[in-house]
Amino acid sequence: MKLRILFVLVAAATMWACQPEINEFEPTKGNADFSVYMSAGNSLTAGYAGGALYRSGQENSYTAILAKQFEAVGRQGAFKIPYINSEDGVGNHGASLRTKLVMGFSTDCLGNTSLAPVPANPNATQQELAILLGTSVAAEGPFHNIGVPGAKVTHLLAPGYASLNPFYARFASDASNAVIDEIGVVQPTFFTLWIGNNDVLTYALAGGAADEITAVETFAASMEAVIGTFKTTATAGAIANIPDITDLPYFTTVPYNPIVLQDQALVDQLNTGYAQYNAAMEQFGLPHRISFKLGANPMVIQDPTIPTPPGYEMLRIRQINEAELVLLSIPQDSLKCGYWGSMKPVPGQFIITHDEKSEIDAAIVAYNQIIETAAQNHDLALVDMNELLNQGSTTGIKMDGVLFTTEFVTGNAFSTDGVHLTPQGNALAANTFIDAINKKYNARVPKVSVTDYEAVRLP
Amino acid sequence: MRKQFIITTMLVMGLLTLQAGGYQVRLQSNRSTGMGLTGTALQMGATSMFYNPGALAMMQTKTDFALGASGIISRISFQKFESDHIAETDNSMSTPFYFYGAGKINEKWSVGLAVYTPYGSSSKWEDNWAGRLLIQNISLQAIYFQPTVAYKISDKLGIGAGLVYATGKVELQKGLNYGADSYVKLEGSTSNIGFNAGVYYNASEKLSLGLNYRSEIMMEITGGDATFNVPIAVGANIPNENKFDAALPMPANLDFGVSYQATEKLLLSAEINYVMWSTYKELEFKFEEKGELLNSKNQRDYKDTFIPRIGAEYVYSDLLTFRIGGYYDPSPTNEKYFTPETVSLNNLAFTLGLSITPSEKLSIDLSYLQINGLQATKTYEPDQFGGTYKSAAYIPGIGVSYRF
Repeated sequence: MKLRILFVLVAAATMWACQPEINEFEPTKGNADFSVYMSAGNSLTAGYAGGALYRSGQENSYTAILAKQFEAVGRQGAFKIPYINSEDGVGNHGASLRTKLVMGFSTDCLGNTSLAPVPANPNATQQELAILLGTSVAAEGPFHNIGVPGAKVTHLLAPGYASLNPFYARFASDASNAVIDEIGVVQPTFFTLWIGNNDVLTYALAGGAADEITAVETFAASMEAVIGTFKTTATAGAIANIPDITDLPYFTTVPYNPIVLQDQALVDQLNTGYAQYNAAMEQFGLPHRISFKLGANPMVIQDPTIPTPPGYEMLRIRQINEAELVLLSIPQDSLKCGYWGSMKPVPGQFIITHDEKSEIDAAIVAYNQIIETAAQNHDLALVDMNELLNQGSTTGIKMDGVLFTTEFVTGNAFSTDGVHLTPQGNALAANTFIDAINKKYNARVPKVSVTDYEAVRLP
Repeated sequence: MRKQFIITTMLVMGLLTLQAGGYQVRLQSNRSTGMGLTGTALQMGATSMFYNPGALAMMQTKTDFALGASGIISRISFQKFESDHIAETDNSMSTPFYFYGAGKINEKWSVGLAVYTPYGSSSKWEDNWAGRLLIQNISLQAIYFQPTVAYKISDKLGIGAGLVYATGKVELQKGLNYGADSYVKLEGSTSNIGFNAGVYYNASEKLSLGLNYRSEIMMEITGGDATFNVPIAVGANIPNENKFDAALPMPANLDFGVSYQATEKLLLSAEINYVMWSTYKELEFKFEEKGELLNSKNQRDYKDTFIPRIGAEYVYSDLLTFRIGGYYDPSPTNEKYFTPETVSLNNLAFTLGLSITPSEKLSIDLSYLQINGLQATKTYEPDQFGGTYKSAAYIPGIGVSYRF
């Protein structure tokens, strides 16, 4: 015991034994002025996630993360975000509204219970949700994050856009405003802009069945106008390009061939059923044939572009091919129990066909060219989100021990809606912005630790 | 009785730590510690059983006992790459210890038992630090029991060897990416055997040489306890309770030392330790259940290191002896695989020592060792986790030896 006491004494005597100090990182603003930061964009910028806009999602948007990091390099004052006063939030679900999706257990038509996205509050009424979304917070503005869920680049310029989009209406400083009119109120010195995804995504989310891809010339002119508005006060900024959205989990999670047949009798029955179709196609000189075998089979889909003669429109169906995409929104119960994809063709709104994918890809290439040119012309940092998603969908991205991939839920980057980012994914996006900003402006904005942020929360 | 009591006390107290050179801890004698942790070419009575069993043959007295311990206060700081995130370890003081008891059977033969703690490491990082998915806290402990026999071939030449029975224990915890309170904790213990052999040679009245080899001991944990704290949703893939196998090598050491009695009062000592760290290639975990998902192979690819050491001892009076020394212990880690689980930097250390000898039979040895882990920016590539590390350890020690 004496020995032990002596130890404690000696130890106490060496308590000057100090913590080694490291100071390898001095935040510097470089050639940029971060004192007033403003951010524009769409749902990704707003912090929309899990299919809804909700408080902690907004708090963890890449924009909110950047605003915090910019404090170290001179950002002043509060960074105002048009918070929605709810953790369950509100989001669009087709024509109706619902709360955010969280991971929970749901039971399908076959009686199997599995882990799946479910509404955080399934009992929320349409009226409650409409009130939540319709409550204006404009009085708390002006806001520094003016990301508007659903916005295309063209929308940012549209006067009175509030009347078309409740997510803008809830914080618009004036009903007749265009979104870019909010910029002059704040007078930013630095801005980030990540817009254009919806100019293709809205089309893609509808399975190419509704909406349209913004024309390239319109896109270019609109982008120029938005950047020009920022540049009236801002001397520096960063603009992100558009990732290949068809790599998002929303488009890659459901396989093209989920029709698994284990019964030869059923296979025969289906093949007999489609014999007439095959004969008709042969007669029309069209290449499409439908056949089933034991095991996994591609689903049968509607394809209104098939040139069957008038009167044979109902034959505009075919089996999907491997390169085509099935949307996450496809009703799983219809697939499992409603004979979708086998006896009943899957409606086109749940499919991105090869042609649609080509259109989307071409638009993204063109948009990104415009964005790159704009970044050069306006001397802005270009944030290559396209490359980031590309890495995520191929090799994956490791950071601080977290592996980011485009896998649904387990890939850490994407939230329960398969499109928008998790807090951890937002941290990754923020670091990508910071890398580009530091490089462009010779600044040293501190990066964040992705482990400080959550991936998809599991029950 | 008394001896047993002492050993028990030490075991209770004991359990070591340190981040010096991988996870090796060489605090096996306070006299040696004072002299830059040299000892291979020194006659240190019973204490020589660790540093060079060959020198045990040169024991001057019939019996010799020594026991002691050190208190390691270690500090590690980390700053994440391109970030202002700073994290520190909060390491509770750890206490490596030693006990030696040896006696002469006759003019030629000596025997003894050594108990010591040559390997260990412990770090506890701040909760929710940036590297929590790599490591939250870790403690490695090894206790060696070494019965030893030495033979004096001539007045100039002694050889000795000991059989080492080593017991080891590991406990580590790291975060999982399922939210802030998800983690895996691994605990296991094991034992194995090895040996320690050396030759000691008095080249002249003044000059002595020593050569010592301590074999590698592989600590293989079989059926260790793995506890996973994860959400219920992943329970089907990651069971809460599991068993794991892992192996961690305690590398072999080849030490060569020279000592020189410069004057009647001044003894100089120098040595080179060759530590065969390259045996530590990977840290592999195999799990009994769901191994296909959970098993991992983590590359380490350590390299062998040479540690040069110097030390001096000055006998000021019959009562007081002073010591000083220093060494440079380069990091055995690989550039690509530097993990925060054992922060092993290039270490520059200095030592001080003092012995009080109230009688010919008894001496009290005090030592102080300060290890400065030189600042370096390192990355663990497989996890893309990197930053700047710097460490320091402040290690006071005390021991007593009694001979008759």
